[in-house]
Amino acid sequence: MLSASDVAFGYRGARRSGESFTLSGLTLDIREGSLTALLGPNGCGKTTLLKLLGGVLAPDPGTVTLRGRALATMTRLDIARAIATVPQETHPAFDYTCLEMVLMGRHPHLGVFTLEGPADIRIAREAMTATGTAQLAARQYMTLSGGEKQRVVIAAALAQSCEVLLLDEPTASLDLGFQLEIAALLQRLNRERGMTMVLATHDVNLAASLCDSVIMMKAGRILAHGPTRDVLTGPAVSRLYDIDADVAWHPRAGHLTITPLPRAPQ
Amino acid sequence: MATRSSRLTVATCAIAVALSVGDGRSAGPQDAGAAGAAAGSKGKPTQARPRPTASRIVSLVPAVTEMLFAIGAGPQVIAVSSFDTFPPEVRRLPRVGALIDPDTERILALRPDLVVTYGSQQDTQERFERAGIRIFAYRHGGLAAMLDTLRQVGAVTGRATAAADTAAQIEQRLNQVRDRVRGRPRPPTLLVFERSPQTLRGVYASGGTGFLNEMLEYAGGANVFADVKRESVQPSQEAILTRAPQAIIEIRASGLLSDADARRDHEVWNTLPSLPAVRQRRVYFLAGSPLVVPGPRVAQGVEMMARALHPDAFR
Amino acid sequence: MKGPHGAVVSTASDPVVNDAREVPETGSIRGRLIRTTLVFGALAVVACLTAPLIGTTHISFARVFDRSIPFDDNVDAQIFFIARLPRVLAAALVGAALAAAGVVFQALLRNPLATPFTLGVSSGASLGAMLAITFASSLTLGPLSPVPLASLAGAGVAAFIVYSLARSTDRAISTSVLLLAGVTLNSFFSALIMFVQYIADFARVFSAFRWLMGDLDVGSFQPILASLPLVIVSFAIFARLPAALNLLSLGADSAAGRGVDVPRVQRLAFLSGSLATSAAVSLAGPIGFIGIVVPHLVRLMVGVDHRVVLPASALFGASFLVGCDLLARVVLAPVEIPVGVVTAMIGGPFFLWLLVRRG
Repeated sequence: MLSASDVAFGYRGARRSGESFTLSGLTLDIREGSLTALLGPNGCGKTTLLKLLGGVLAPDPGTVTLRGRALATMTRLDIARAIATVPQETHPAFDYTCLEMVLMGRHPHLGVFTLEGPADIRIAREAMTATGTAQLAARQYMTLSGGEKQRVVIAAALAQSCEVLLLDEPTASLDLGFQLEIAALLQRLNRERGMTMVLATHDVNLAASLCDSVIMMKAGRILAHGPTRDVLTGPAVSRLYDIDADVAWHPRAGHLTITPLPRAPQ
Repeated sequence: MATRSSRLTVATCAIAVALSVGDGRSAGPQDAGAAGAAAGSKGKPTQARPRPTASRIVSLVPAVTEMLFAIGAGPQVIAVSSFDTFPPEVRRLPRVGALIDPDTERILALRPDLVVTYGSQQDTQERFERAGIRIFAYRHGGLAAMLDTLRQVGAVTGRATAAADTAAQIEQRLNQVRDRVRGRPRPPTLLVFERSPQTLRGVYASGGTGFLNEMLEYAGGANVFADVKRESVQPSQEAILTRAPQAIIEIRASGLLSDADARRDHEVWNTLPSLPAVRQRRVYFLAGSPLVVPGPRVAQGVEMMARALHPDAFR
Repeated sequence: MKGPHGAVVSTASDPVVNDAREVPETGSIRGRLIRTTLVFGALAVVACLTAPLIGTTHISFARVFDRSIPFDDNVDAQIFFIARLPRVLAAALVGAALAAAGVVFQALLRNPLATPFTLGVSSGASLGAMLAITFASSLTLGPLSPVPLASLAGAGVAAFIVYSLARSTDRAISTSVLLLAGVTLNSFFSALIMFVQYIADFARVFSAFRWLMGDLDVGSFQPILASLPLVIVSFAIFARLPAALNLLSLGADSAAGRGVDVPRVQRLAFLSGSLATSAAVSLAGPIGFIGIVVPHLVRLMVGVDHRVVLPASALFGASFLVGCDLLARVVLAPVEIPVGVVTAMIGGPFFLWLLVRRG
């Protein structure tokens, strides 16, 4: 449904200094309704690819298409009505309340001079309820804990009423409890609303527990792309992270777990 | 100049100058090296030592330059400030800066024996005193102070008699003007010395004290701001309207002589038509350095003002 | 808790309520916007109507409008119509322009401490004015004084330089580069201004100095009318920005992901903010602190949504500067304090208080 065709991208500085492209020759397709992980070590180009998929950056060369339409032919607002992005961190420069933050997600559906109406507010509140943040509506965003903030930002993305949700390291700075919470939330949203989701993450176990497909990336290239079970193998993980890893099925958890192994003494 | 006594003199001067920093501006010039008294502004004589008359003079103050030339000490002047224009002889003299930017190095290179500075240029004064050069510290004041300065300049240059004569002439001429306009009604006058071009914004006018105010009095005018005990006032247009001057005099160092310029200047004041001065067409634009230099040609400036205010007294 | 019609209204203190029913939003944006505009608008109107009646000289309202007295003879009317009314209107225009520009620059730079003068537009305007006062005071361009025109030109040059330094063709402007360019230009132009004052003629130094302190005593409607087109254009652009500014203050990528054309919005914000600032500074000189005190005060009163903050700041800025000018006129009568001094004396302590509060 959301695909990239022979996409390459290089940041200005990198090109000028003669380095190779940040991303080169990527081709992939995200299946509708899937929960896909973009897995790879830091600096492999996950965030860049996510931005390309979200239409925030333009590929050069290559094309990104949504349901067959090239993003380059769509207006920014059209793209925003179809694809929502949850960035890794959100630092508002002003002291917005949580409800205001979530209502900003309605922007693509409003005109320049249109103010949000009761329907928009309803959608925003529903999104907050779905993420368990309804009680935070009147509080200042900046006073929240990390997990609460992340859930509010996800609520804002939900309020955007899109069919695709892109998330950049949604659990990176959260502790274990919050990680499970967000993972459960995303899973629920994927199942209940059928939202197509792409998660950029370096956390193998998150990918294993949550996602049905995995795209492995390293140094700007795709190493593997397919269902989680097929892609997440010991040798694949080892190659990706240059470590030894053991991949096993955890019966109680119901998904694969990856355990990094210390290097054998030489 | 390296004798113990002159070092003591210099030290005393320096201390006296330092002590006088918080003195505020007292009207009247202070000569830190006046003949017979090695003192600063506090006037504490330490050694009564006759001083040689100055023969190589650098003047940073245009008013004092004029005084020097007026008393015949012109040949002793070796350099002047960037703003000096009178007398014509100064045009061939080297320029050494002024209040903000005195060129100390250049002055020292000319090897003067007297430097005329502004009273507020304390760093500069200290520098010259350290080099053993005499300082004449000029302080701005009213007419009486100007004449006093003139006499001190005479003393320092060994031309006390010429100075006394010149002072007497100036006083005589001033009195002549005052006599001419005596008894005539004194119009409340606004004396403007600066404003933003082509508007009435940023007007600077003479207050109830100071040199310009005294000139106005001699010329037979009454300052509309006589009650404001300051040398300069920045009135808003409302303040000007309220004070309702019957005559307005604008003075400038040099004038624009074309008819178009004169018309434009009048138009600016016509935006306040209720002013008696505007209605009675008594708005005068006077130009010339005697109006802006508080020096020996003051009587000329006063006469220009008097002729504007009381033309019938000069027929 | 129960709201009107017995509907259950969710509040922050309630436990999680899975209530997705439509809830009447008492704080809805439309209502807030209308209320705010009415309140601040009324305040501005009241300020503009009463300030011309107050001053060091007592004038009689009846005499001012007494048509039987010819205007040329009517001192009260002249004080009202020539000295005070244009001054009050200029204050309102400048106050509104600077306050609104402040809001826009704070959003553009994602920094609540930004001011309309941060990016060098004002120092460019000041340099232009200094050059005109020092070298061209006898130059005439029709009925216009050269100083406002020169200051407008200076502002334009400064804005152009800063923008050129910070932009890149298709990508968004880096706010940090913009900020650095503006700060650098500020220092550079300030040095030039000092140099011009240094070499200026004695007499011109007075005028130059006076201009830098800010002066609303315009004396006629003509300078106001000359600045009006610029202000109108900038406000027309301001009207389109608030929603985008909200999004922009979360970051360029967040905004882009929600459909904002970030480079375009940044360009428009920079252009409109610079236009409004240039118009204000060329009319009345650089009057500081309006662009930062007013937006902050307004945010304390109405929240941070730019759709409310921008119009409210414009209206409150007008009242604020009219009030400051009134203080400047009467507090030490008959001496008038430059209005820039009054805004600084209010703004400085306010700022410190803000910092202490945040810390």
